[in-house]
Amino acid sequence: MSDVQIKKFVVTRFDPDKDEVPRTDTFEVPCQSDWMVLDALNFIKDQLDGSLSYRWSCRMAVCGSCGMNVDGAPTLTCKSPLSSYGDTVEVTPLSNFPVIRDLVVELDGFMEKLKAVKPWIIRAKEKAVEEGPYRQSPEELEDFKQFSLCINCMLCYAACPVVGNEPDFIGPAAIALGYRYNLDSRDEGASERNAIFRGEGSVYSCSFANECSEVCPENVDPAAAINQAKLSGLVDWAASLVLPRGGKD
Amino acid sequence: MARAAHPQAMQPKKPGTTRTAPPKMPDGFPGKGRYRTYVAFETTGLIYLLMGFIILRAIWQLGAGEAGWNGVMDAYRNPIMIGFHVLALVGVIFVGVRFFWLFPKAQPPRIGPVRPPPAAILKGMLYSVWIGTTLVMTWVLAGGAF
Amino acid sequence: MVETHRHDVVIVGGGAAGLRAAIAAVEADPNITVALVSKVYPMRSHTVSAEGGAAAVTREDDSFEMHGYDTVKGSDFLGDQDVIEYFVEQAPKELTLLEHWGCPWSRNEDGSVATRAFGGMSIKRTWYAADKVGFHMLHALFQHSMRFDRIVRYDEQFVTRLLIDDGQVRGVVALDIRQGTMRAFLGRSVILCTGGGGKIFPFTTNGNIKTGDGMALAYRAGVALKDMEFVQYHPTGLPGTGILITEATRGEGAYLKNKDGERFLVTRDYGVGSKAELGPRDLISRAMVQEFEAGRGFSGSYGEYLHLDLTHLGEEKINQRLPMVRELAKVYGGVDPVYEPIPVRPVVHYMMGGVDTDIDTATQLPGLYAAGETACVSLNGANRLGSNSLTECLVFGARSGEQALQFSKGADDGNERAVRAQAEEEQARIDQLRGKVKGGEKLARLRVDMNKTLESGCGVYRQEDSMQQTVRDIAQIKGRFADLALEDKSKVFNTELVSALELHNMLEIAEVVANSAASRKESRGAHTRRDAPTRDDQNCLYHTLCFFDPAGPRIEKKDVTLGTWVPEERKY
Repeated sequence: MSDVQIKKFVVTRFDPDKDEVPRTDTFEVPCQSDWMVLDALNFIKDQLDGSLSYRWSCRMAVCGSCGMNVDGAPTLTCKSPLSSYGDTVEVTPLSNFPVIRDLVVELDGFMEKLKAVKPWIIRAKEKAVEEGPYRQSPEELEDFKQFSLCINCMLCYAACPVVGNEPDFIGPAAIALGYRYNLDSRDEGASERNAIFRGEGSVYSCSFANECSEVCPENVDPAAAINQAKLSGLVDWAASLVLPRGGKD
Repeated sequence: MARAAHPQAMQPKKPGTTRTAPPKMPDGFPGKGRYRTYVAFETTGLIYLLMGFIILRAIWQLGAGEAGWNGVMDAYRNPIMIGFHVLALVGVIFVGVRFFWLFPKAQPPRIGPVRPPPAAILKGMLYSVWIGTTLVMTWVLAGGAF
Repeated sequence: MVETHRHDVVIVGGGAAGLRAAIAAVEADPNITVALVSKVYPMRSHTVSAEGGAAAVTREDDSFEMHGYDTVKGSDFLGDQDVIEYFVEQAPKELTLLEHWGCPWSRNEDGSVATRAFGGMSIKRTWYAADKVGFHMLHALFQHSMRFDRIVRYDEQFVTRLLIDDGQVRGVVALDIRQGTMRAFLGRSVILCTGGGGKIFPFTTNGNIKTGDGMALAYRAGVALKDMEFVQYHPTGLPGTGILITEATRGEGAYLKNKDGERFLVTRDYGVGSKAELGPRDLISRAMVQEFEAGRGFSGSYGEYLHLDLTHLGEEKINQRLPMVRELAKVYGGVDPVYEPIPVRPVVHYMMGGVDTDIDTATQLPGLYAAGETACVSLNGANRLGSNSLTECLVFGARSGEQALQFSKGADDGNERAVRAQAEEEQARIDQLRGKVKGGEKLARLRVDMNKTLESGCGVYRQEDSMQQTVRDIAQIKGRFADLALEDKSKVFNTELVSALELHNMLEIAEVVANSAASRKESRGAHTRRDAPTRDDQNCLYHTLCFFDPAGPRIEKKDVTLGTWVPEERKY
């Protein structure tokens, strides 16, 4: 096997039945040189302390389960090689989220926000399946493809300075996913979603810190989506003043 | 230690069934680490606010005729005022650079059939306009136009 | 008191099959509600990791006959031909629906959906969205499902038992992982869509959640598991982690090479003929093992491997068609496939077997349905063709939704008190297991021992003595499970408890895999015996059924449904 190096892991622990507030535990882990942060957590769970709780599954950076703060930075732990960290590694739950247990955070708030932006194809009249697929050129696909790559790992929410201060803010991933449908040539719901983007927790809460895009493991660039949505929401609103029936049609 | 976030941050409308530890702000926010640049960017707002007051006062002083104007000019020679303006210049450059860095991604993928130019070209255009405007203004203010 | 929720249909699992079933059910009747009960948030389901594509006949130069024949031949003639005919006919409609629901399929210049070549398919018929097809399909389905308020999600609920009364399924009972208490989900029909159980093996493309839960639930309830000896090795996984490098790499033209730089599938006779790298997975995995045995593999810190060479495809094509492969190879394989070949080895990928269902996805237990990898509707027979499984999730997911709803409409609620009592019993059992500190066994050790014996007995090549050894080993590990000690006594989000329940499920299906394998005295598809190297249609053209019995698994046989295509020698 590969070289082994002992690293110290300082990990947040919180059990609501026992702990008033979160505390930390320290573990010494013999790390192989090709390990990711997640491998070390799995070592702790299997060999040192079976009670450590965290989420993980695919270990190939696509299921989005294993987001945590590593040395303070929102990180997909299955995609972050230990070799890029020092001898002591601090693992804490994602910031801006309530903590359920240890490294497990509350996701239902995000699920509500995601549903609120109507992340599905909206059509005035649905196309019958017998009519076959829509035509969509590779360029039209390119318009929204990047924003469809979001794995809902929540790193962007953990990095956003607005999310922690304004609970209503729809937030990076959900806006990117809603906006992704606005850009989809098959969709006709843009003005409906733009009204949502202008409403409670609006896109204009975003102060363009760009941190969501800095931490995104899939290069979705949610900051781009949010700030494009600001402009398109504004244009839509202005159009609705001129054409009171919503600007489209 | 990270600071506490809003207690309702990322809480579902229907609260969860077990007690949670309250959310914390991102590590280092606002003063340290990765957020320093962003917070500095936001803080430059204060400089423009102050600048606004200074300009307003200058315009107000014009009402007092030539004496008022000379008073303003004298005040501008004060080292504190010079220091402030140097700071403001640094702030404007900083904000400009950051704004130009972020501007391309805020463009829609296309307006009708027209796509915005690639980020590098867009940035180049922005810088050209900025530098161009600065040169023209300098020339005008230096008396070149009159 | 166990909290109770009642819906018309209860679906266990929120991957492609479960979501498709839920949508089909609520679309079929505007007055019903569906419970979507999943141990993870649906977008974490392992559908997300599928890469290559989904097959359907959509091109002018393709036909149902061709897709059907490819599938039958791929299955080594063990697929039920009525099921295969139904599948190929429904496939185009299902993929079109996904297109209407927003799935970002890759496109041709004229705006039509693009297709790519895949192993064992005679024509380019696989739809794709770059190389993140499962991811895009899952998220499109999940996001589309959000528009239906009548699909009521119960996330992070781990189902531990089917509730059965009067010979009929009445719902499920689940551990609310967050709360640590049990919830009963009552419905007049139940659909299992929990995926496969690749985690019984040490090297697998499967994620941590793929522990065969639905198979174990049905099995313990007396439903047969069918054809469980057929475990598919995907030829190209990364050594060490087992991370999948999609077959679409070969569909796009990648080569497999041995350490002499030789395209052994072309230069040597491994039965794949002119298909070469686009042969079916069972044949290529065997060819790779033979290359290892002949000393033509590379050796590395995680054992032997071969090279998957994409370098001749060029950076542009790789970035456009295979961006995820490039990223995976860089991050987890340490190579950039634009410039270097990717080290690969065969790795456990998919279980052709599963809960025995008929063409309507119904099991032998009234009210219980199953779809997706959990089920064995006998589409895949002894070897699945790449890109048929995502389509299978849609076709039979939809079918199960419709059929379970039909059943639900004709059924009564049953004796609620009786099933509540079962749920209370289950609460007591789980409470006992939680924080069971006394015992000499550790979870991780049992898991590793199970993994090891499965690989040695039920790997690419099998033989009588090693399979029998695995049968004995698994029985012994099951015994040791009773002596398991757990450290975590907490109620809230106790993942150790969940892991213990998952291990219990895995041991159950591991035992079925080993016993089913030992019972089949021939080589067919993914089940290859050194001591019986040929297919025996005279005596072995049957489905293996394995039933739970307190005395040990009981094997029975079931006829294969033949039809248009007569079994012939499987040569490509």
